[in-house]
Amino acid sequence: MSKVKVEKIKRPEKIGLPFMLDFYPLQDEKYTRISQFFKNLKDGHLTTTKCEKCKEVLWPPRIICPHCHTEDLKWIDLGTEGEVHAFTEITLGAPLGFVEDTPFCTGIVQIGGLLISARIDDVRYEDLKIGDKVRLKIVELPDQRVFFRFSKSKNE
Amino acid sequence: MNQVAIVAGGEAKAGRRAASWRELVQEAGKALFEDVNNLAPKDVDSLFVGAAQPERFAFQSYVAPLVAEHLGIIPRKVIARTELACVSGQAAIRYAWNCVASGMSDIAVAIGVEKMYQPDMAEAQTTMTCVLDREWDGINCFSAPPIFAVTAQRHMYEFGTTQEQMALVSVKNHHYSSLNPIAHLRKEVTIEDVLKSPVVAPPLHLFDCCPMTDGSAGIILVRAEEAKKYTDTPMHLIGSGQCAIGNAVNNLASLTDWVPLRRAAEEAWRTAKISKDDVDIAEVHDCFTISEIMEYEGLGFCEKGRGGKFIEDGEPYIGGKVAVNPSGGIMGCGHPLGATSIYHTFELLKQFRGDVDQGRYVKGAEIGIQHSLSGAANQHSILVCSREPR
Ligand SMILES: [Zn+2]
Repeated sequence: MSKVKVEKIKRPEKIGLPFMLDFYPLQDEKYTRISQFFKNLKDGHLTTTKCEKCKEVLWPPRIICPHCHTEDLKWIDLGTEGEVHAFTEITLGAPLGFVEDTPFCTGIVQIGGLLISARIDDVRYEDLKIGDKVRLKIVELPDQRVFFRFSKSKNE
Repeated sequence: MNQVAIVAGGEAKAGRRAASWRELVQEAGKALFEDVNNLAPKDVDSLFVGAAQPERFAFQSYVAPLVAEHLGIIPRKVIARTELACVSGQAAIRYAWNCVASGMSDIAVAIGVEKMYQPDMAEAQTTMTCVLDREWDGINCFSAPPIFAVTAQRHMYEFGTTQEQMALVSVKNHHYSSLNPIAHLRKEVTIEDVLKSPVVAPPLHLFDCCPMTDGSAGIILVRAEEAKKYTDTPMHLIGSGQCAIGNAVNNLASLTDWVPLRRAAEEAWRTAKISKDDVDIAEVHDCFTISEIMEYEGLGFCEKGRGGKFIEDGEPYIGGKVAVNPSGGIMGCGHPLGATSIYHTFELLKQFRGDVDQGRYVKGAEIGIQHSLSGAANQHSILVCSREPR
């Protein structure tokens, strides 16, 4: 039987972080009905939706209330001071896009009656404890999208 | 409703396998049909494929027909893939059970598969970090280890549970998996080994966590009255419970009290007409050591907050109050997401048949449960199985 020669072909050597592996949500009003949340963050405020009918504070922000299904929601400010409810540190096993940040703390912060997950910056695991006060920190990506974190308060 | 029995099981060796997604499922499928009499793939009318993330782990959607083709099954009643993260396998069993119970299907296969070991582990981690609410919790790197790390931290804070007590779960389950030929990890570990293993997400160390595992397992379900046509030793499905509460971290019922587990357990005992004290074998979801401790509590085997003491006293060993994970659990056998629940359901069948190593055989067992949880432990599923029809 005759043999066929193997031909080499080209492929791109590197591909950037694909959109569908990006953890940060699209924030513009073209893409989401809660773009107000991100506008408020840009303005320096961590906010969420509160149901005008059943008065529940909803997290994550919603477009309908899961309890009574009304669309009658208003934006409320959660403030800037939180308290550490639980935390850990990411050393091994960070996802793509976060590997370069390791090690960093992430945890659950009690703020405005909610228990929300967030990264906790400017502190190592050994120096953090349950009940510590943390303050809001807002970060901006190179493409102008924003997100919130917390930072260990210095003035304790 | 028809009573339903499981008449056969088959599994691929679990581990870091030199085999692709479809090869794993072929291994389990071949073993499955070798385990049954008078039944060929062409007799199967319904197929459910438990697969959590094949789009990412194998870059393949639409996997149920792919599995049917590879196993020579021509489904003509119901075919679907089931996805419920770490409980995708039990979801497949529950659909198959329902189809046979309702009379829609005569012979149904539930088979699960996951190919998890990847050349680039950061990509595998990325894949698993979209199980929790990706936009609000995944974005903060809450995948499985961090959410169970904060659970462990709060359990230690609220109830005084210690790292040594958690390590004991790993010691027990690695002991049993050392006696299980299909298990991924077959080496015993000591408390020291666990505490000195690398930190993954504090307070969790490497040996507090289940490994990344490739695997596949399947079972065949038929009407109980016909079971003896296919095997001398069927296993009967006699009850179940499943409950999901909330999803995002803020909306969990509680970090340290798994309310959906308690509710699923109540429903499982009620439908099976048994009490928790009737359970001889509990194959439970020990994805992390803290999980098994909280399952002793949630299943009612001990009081809330006393899970650490429960293992310190040796109660979850064979010969104790209840044999918990005599297979070696997920910690020892591995956790190929879509296949896990099916491996551990087949384990119950093997136990009832007496087809396991003497060192991990639960002699005289009549009732076994298979428990799986998913996500941030906001969803729990329990199957109750018995050796004899009830
Ligand atoms: Zn409402």
